[in-house]
Amino acid sequence: MHRRRFLAATGAVTLTMPGFLSACGKSGSGPELAAAPPADPFAEWFGIDTATVQAVLAELGAGGADFGDLYFQHTRNTSVKMEDGIIGEATSSITQGVGLRVVIGDQTGYAFTEELTLEAMKKAARTAAAIARGNTTRLSPDQLQWPEIAHRDLYKLAVPWSAVGITDKLPRIQKLESLAKAKDPSVDKVQVSWWDSEERVMVCTLDGKVYREVRPQSRLWCTVVAKKGDETRSNSANLAGRRGIDFYTDEKLGELADKAVRLTMRLFDARRPPAGEMPVILAAGPSGILLHEAVGHGLEADFNRIGTSIYADKMGEKVAADFVTVVDSGVEPNERGALTFDDEGNDCQRTALIENGRLASYMHDTISARHYGVKPTGSGRRQSFKHVPMPRMRCTFMEDGPHTRDEIIASVDKGIIAETFTNGQVQIGAGDFTFYIKNGWLIEGGKITAPISDVNIIGNGPEALQNITMAANDAQLDTGGWTCGKNGQGVPVSQGLPTVLVSKLNVGGVDA
Amino acid sequence: MPDPSSLLLERATAAVELAKTAGAAHVHASASQARNVEYKLRDGILEKVQEDTSRSVSLSLYVDGRYSRHSTSDLRAASLKAFVDEAVAMTRVLAPDPDRMLPPAELYPSGEAPELDVVDTGVPSLDRDARMARLQAMQSGLTGHEDVISWTAGISDSESFSAAVNTNGLSGTHHATSAWCGAEVTLQDPNGARPEDWFWGGGHHLKSMPDAEEVARRCLSQARARIGSAKGPTAQTTMIVDPRSSGRLIARLLGPASARSIQQGRSFWADSVGQKLFSEKLSLTDAPLLKGGHNSRPYDGEGLASRALPIVENGVVKNVYVDSYYGRKLGMTPTTGSRSNLQWVGGGRDLAAILADIDDAIYVTSWLGGNADGTTGDFSFGLRGHRITKGEMGPPIGEMNVTGNLIDLFAALTEVGDDGWPYSSSYSPTLVFDGVQFSGA
Repeated sequence: MHRRRFLAATGAVTLTMPGFLSACGKSGSGPELAAAPPADPFAEWFGIDTATVQAVLAELGAGGADFGDLYFQHTRNTSVKMEDGIIGEATSSITQGVGLRVVIGDQTGYAFTEELTLEAMKKAARTAAAIARGNTTRLSPDQLQWPEIAHRDLYKLAVPWSAVGITDKLPRIQKLESLAKAKDPSVDKVQVSWWDSEERVMVCTLDGKVYREVRPQSRLWCTVVAKKGDETRSNSANLAGRRGIDFYTDEKLGELADKAVRLTMRLFDARRPPAGEMPVILAAGPSGILLHEAVGHGLEADFNRIGTSIYADKMGEKVAADFVTVVDSGVEPNERGALTFDDEGNDCQRTALIENGRLASYMHDTISARHYGVKPTGSGRRQSFKHVPMPRMRCTFMEDGPHTRDEIIASVDKGIIAETFTNGQVQIGAGDFTFYIKNGWLIEGGKITAPISDVNIIGNGPEALQNITMAANDAQLDTGGWTCGKNGQGVPVSQGLPTVLVSKLNVGGVDA
Repeated sequence: MPDPSSLLLERATAAVELAKTAGAAHVHASASQARNVEYKLRDGILEKVQEDTSRSVSLSLYVDGRYSRHSTSDLRAASLKAFVDEAVAMTRVLAPDPDRMLPPAELYPSGEAPELDVVDTGVPSLDRDARMARLQAMQSGLTGHEDVISWTAGISDSESFSAAVNTNGLSGTHHATSAWCGAEVTLQDPNGARPEDWFWGGGHHLKSMPDAEEVARRCLSQARARIGSAKGPTAQTTMIVDPRSSGRLIARLLGPASARSIQQGRSFWADSVGQKLFSEKLSLTDAPLLKGGHNSRPYDGEGLASRALPIVENGVVKNVYVDSYYGRKLGMTPTTGSRSNLQWVGGGRDLAAILADIDDAIYVTSWLGGNADGTTGDFSFGLRGHRITKGEMGPPIGEMNVTGNLIDLFAALTEVGDDGWPYSSSYSPTLVFDGVQFSGA
């Protein structure tokens, strides 16, 4: 219940709605109504009619509201697992429902129902509207509008997941397993997990705007157990994104198998680094976890609006070297955190959080944007129709710096490289953040000398930002599947980084 | 809500019939329904009111020697039938697995349902006024303090019902209520930081919730104890873990203590039954029938009847968590596949007595991040707390890590408190470990 925030590479595991077609049809007519509604969109997607939706909206706004919305969602998840050489477990799940929200100033009334009958939805609308105490303007739309979405087709799939049968997945799972098994004679077991998801989302705002789209998501996970004598080591690697089945090519399967086995075998030789403060090099890609924890959460506007973030009142201040530019973007195609519109119907965009070392913007949902008198950044996200939206990260990354990876490594006399991670966490008010290194390297005298593993890193956000003394020109986004947790809600995110040197962080090692 | 148990039993039974009609040989089905209400008061404003009812049906299917699991919240008759038909069809294309079968019927509950004391009829009759009264009582303890930047108080209550049936004779229902309240507070530290802390408590009964006054007092005192926090030292010394935080260590220790992890080669508990792995001070029992216990239950997710299960006795491993599938693969008798409540054998002293009597130690009040490798037991966790010197508590420290191996750590357990944390199913007490490696400034 308390505010714990963490980022974890979780193995969330949880088939086809006949006639379920892909996203919003674009067939414009008129400036305000560029995207015309399909013949009967609510019936097509949720088995209800437009009149029902309007009646529910009227009930929701009856007591008055600053704004509010209906968030319809239908999610279908499928997973398949191969273990001990048997593809012997599959799962499927469907969750559908509508979340109903009324906002007045800082107050939110919320209800949801999984039963999409007029009676059930009106009852939920009355529950949500009970927050209103009759002192604001009644809101209810006479007519629905279908506004144009600025960024579209960020993740339009050639074949939607609902049209992919389980038999299309089996050969890929089998192939990944046999590739991993063949990589090294010490490999004892390989477990492969496939997961895909297709989400239909429809946001109807109290002022009558309707946004809808299909949001795909998938992940392929490879876990390896290797044995050498009495010693056993295990590790895993995964590939994820708003991707379709065509993304999982033989080449990608080969890379994933190679990575999972390589990272496992390296654990046999891994040691613990010395304990204490030292320079930490963050390898390009997954190390974006640094930004997520040290910077990102602290710049979510809700924490700043109520003054609980270490970054509150620091907007416009110089917080890092000139070469540091950090972006949170909803519009990176096929990224796990990509969104054409956020879960409130606001257009997504590319938001510069830190520009040339200066704090440039918070991430806003509608509530915080109204509070600060700015436009929402399209950062209002929720786990599902069961949850209220709040400002969240999407895809967080840092742009290229002026150095090279080799220069950075050569500059460190005694330190470590962090390469792969399992999880991280931050304390918003104190600014202390952590992340857990699964695989890394020891650096001695400017050279990589030995592998390390299982090391927790702790630092302080503002301090670590100031201590970013070098950044290379090799920025890349991570390909793994990250889920960010905040106030009990998990949302998919992505992250990236060039190779970066933080001159001083606390390293959880042994024998100082 | 009116008791829907018989409706849920019918719903689960109907789902079993649908799956059998579609071609499943064996089926386990469960149906559940829950009502949740949550109120949140932030800095004097009623910031959020949420009320909802959710329901779902879950199925495990055994089709032609093949296995799959499914759940849905779309319970309209036509949707449900289409969902089940497709689930059965999907199962047919998997590989057969001879170890997949329903657990033997003699392991299911029989006779009268155990009295678990997990229902309080006062919970579903809570109304807006009662919830607001509690929030306002917390508010009065949290307001009027100059160092408070922001506070949030909340109350959250629920009532849940479930039913489970299978084609091997299982039929059971479960009903529970819960009520929790708590708060979190953020303070201004003169050095610019904004330390925060929380206190939440509750359980199945209204009386399980802590006093509003206690919530406010503990939030404030815990957060104030963080004012002026400095970087901790690099040192090898004794570690004392607060009951509120020791549950996290126990979760890491027990995480791989399952037949599944062992069979998959990812557990340091492999071949440990009968072995002395840990300190004699460690005795742990899984207690699913504990009266009023947070995770008390008549049967587990597979329908195995609940019984007390000793996990560790005086450092010797007695049992691990064995579900029927991985148990069959390993040739082990099923115990239960998942943790319920933990019962401890304490050494007679509480945290205060232990702290007062220690020469040199790091007292851990909370963790920040970190992880452990279930295969090797290697761990590294971030932490905050205080240095204790000759029984005296020093200023707050943080931004430090503790690193080691879980087997070594629990072999070096020197004392277990008798002060189990009441607000978590692990009921974890104060734990004391010798010779622990800390990394700090």
